[in-house]
Amino acid sequence: MSDSDFDSDIETEERLRRFAASTRTPALPEETAALPWKVQTETPETGPFWFRLSLAGLSGRAGRALAGGARLAVTLAVAGGLLFVVSNTRTSGSGAALIEPPTTPRPTLQPGARGGPEVVVLPTHGVVDGVMASYVAGGVKQAESDGAAAVIIQLDTLGGASDAMESIVQSLHATIPTIVWVGPSGAKAASAGTFITLSANLAYMAPSTNIGAASPVASSGQDIASVYGQTEADKVMKDAIASIRSIAQERHPQAVAWAVSTVQNADSYTAQEALDAHAINGIAASLDEVLKAADGQEVTINGAQVVVHTSGATIKTIDEDFIQTILHDLDDPNVAFILLVIGVLCVAVEFFHPTLLAGLIGAFCLALAFYGSGSLPLNILGVVLVVLGIVMLILEPAVPSHGLLTVGGIVSFVIGAVAFYGSPGPYLPAASVAWPIIGVMAAAAAAYGLVIVRTLLALRNRPVPEGVGLVGSQDEVVGMEGVVERDLDPSGTVYVARESWSAILEGGGSAPRGTKVRVIRKEGLTLIVEPAK
Amino acid sequence: MFVKEAYLHSDVVRAPAQGLARGRAIDAEFATALADELSGAYRLAGYMLADAAEAQDAVQEASVRAWRAWSRLREKDKFHSWFNQILVNVCRSRLRRQSRRRTTDIEEVDIEGADPFRASLARDAIGRALSALSTELRMVVVLRYWGDLSLAEIADRLGIPIGTVKSRHHAALQTLRRRIEPAAGSSR
Repeated sequence: MSDSDFDSDIETEERLRRFAASTRTPALPEETAALPWKVQTETPETGPFWFRLSLAGLSGRAGRALAGGARLAVTLAVAGGLLFVVSNTRTSGSGAALIEPPTTPRPTLQPGARGGPEVVVLPTHGVVDGVMASYVAGGVKQAESDGAAAVIIQLDTLGGASDAMESIVQSLHATIPTIVWVGPSGAKAASAGTFITLSANLAYMAPSTNIGAASPVASSGQDIASVYGQTEADKVMKDAIASIRSIAQERHPQAVAWAVSTVQNADSYTAQEALDAHAINGIAASLDEVLKAADGQEVTINGAQVVVHTSGATIKTIDEDFIQTILHDLDDPNVAFILLVIGVLCVAVEFFHPTLLAGLIGAFCLALAFYGSGSLPLNILGVVLVVLGIVMLILEPAVPSHGLLTVGGIVSFVIGAVAFYGSPGPYLPAASVAWPIIGVMAAAAAAYGLVIVRTLLALRNRPVPEGVGLVGSQDEVVGMEGVVERDLDPSGTVYVARESWSAILEGGGSAPRGTKVRVIRKEGLTLIVEPAK
Repeated sequence: MFVKEAYLHSDVVRAPAQGLARGRAIDAEFATALADELSGAYRLAGYMLADAAEAQDAVQEASVRAWRAWSRLREKDKFHSWFNQILVNVCRSRLRRQSRRRTTDIEEVDIEGADPFRASLARDAIGRALSALSTELRMVVVLRYWGDLSLAEIADRLGIPIGTVKSRHHAALQTLRRRIEPAAGSSR
């Protein structure tokens, strides 16, 4: 900086200082000066929650974004919490939690401790999951403590989660003889079901039932490979083969090769084929036939040979309790899919119209969906496509694309829904979403995007009705009539639309308090008025 | 455009229409503290915004903001600089909005019947030149000469480093000088 520069800076400074000192400041108008503390009588917000809300109100878009983010965080936290709780229930369900302290082993059976012998039957259905595991574990324990002659697990499943399956296999190593009956006719003991069947002390199948892999066509090894990569697939396959080999070994040495083929080649067998392979003990069309067939059989329990006495036993059926039934039904491939779609849609509502309620319902649905799909061969790609499809459908009203987003969204949604469940491994069931459900949910998602989101957006941009806050955000005061509150000379205040406004009388002049005026236009927050006729 | 002001405005003005006090005592401490600030704030806002109506709205907005945040102000004796900061923030966002909306040179403005601040500025060439400064430079100048703040205090109010204040101050002076002495030319 040169000297002259510096000097002239000082000169300019001095001039500014003198000028500033010479400028007068008009008196602050009374109403402005008086406003804040005479009128603002509400308590200043103190709590962090209200602070956030007021922030949202105060700082416009950024504040809303912040509040939206906070809400989303709360929603996600709740979803995470639910997921945590549910998954813990699930873990505890697979074993110890629901069961009384272990009873002392009873190497010898006392058939008919109270009258005739009693046999406990546990009918199961659907996917092998934590619920089924806890149900079987609880049922077997109860049968043990009741002194039942045997426990029969009636099985009809396409497979399920390997941890649940292992837990059931553990339960089947009980202090009383365990019998698996694959029935009635038409039932299947596929994938994980095969392992469970072969693990029981005695296994029977009804005529026209099947045992073996869930998908007789595809090789399950390749299928896992497509999802997890070849190494992982090999590992899963090797584990499964080793597991079935040891299970089959306990039954009959000749059954081993047969059992391995159900895993390795994804072979499926009829009841007769299984019997021929010494994999099961017999064919029984009903529970009564099972009791007859099992009577007199010798089984090994805790290393001791025990003879089963089930002839003429009374059958005691233990059903799933209410909560188990509900949780178990969540594992239905269709239910899990529907829950996911509803969950995503509800969370989307939360985005467009924050109420917390929709977000909570959505979070709950999502938690249930992921709980349910835990025992299903969920295909991440399919899930992503479904969610992407929904997002596209929802964005359509917000980002006009002349229907492209809707078409793309539906295509993505349907492809995702078809591919929602991947190919099963050795344990998981073959699952798919039913076509009618895909259709209905796609239509629902599209309708949601077209109708609800559009409505919510319209709602958001709707002019605020008169007298309900935020009046100044619209120009609708123009044309309204009001009354002079403080004399216009030519400026003062008028009372329009239930609010006081600073106002200027068009063309100057003055108007006393009480004069009726009409708003011609609005400049900033000042109304330009004329006397009303 | 006026959503924010309208929000504040309606919030403030709706209350009397609804029958005013809901039995709540007004915080006298706040009222007293604010009363001392108002005319100074109005002067600053007026010369920053060069618009009486805007300045009144700014003072009002700052007052309401201050009231809302009052309970979070720990050291009440720092009210002056705290309120100043709020006011400066309010003025800054209003100035930015103004400059986006219109770019009017003071010379082109109809001075007859204009508001007191504009009229006051228009009396002197340097005042007219002030209106041509950018938002950032203008705020520094007004705070310095109308607010009688030191450069360090200005840095505090604006929330920027003092070095930035110094360079803005210098740039403002240069610009002003060039505008008021166009014939003299610059020494560069």
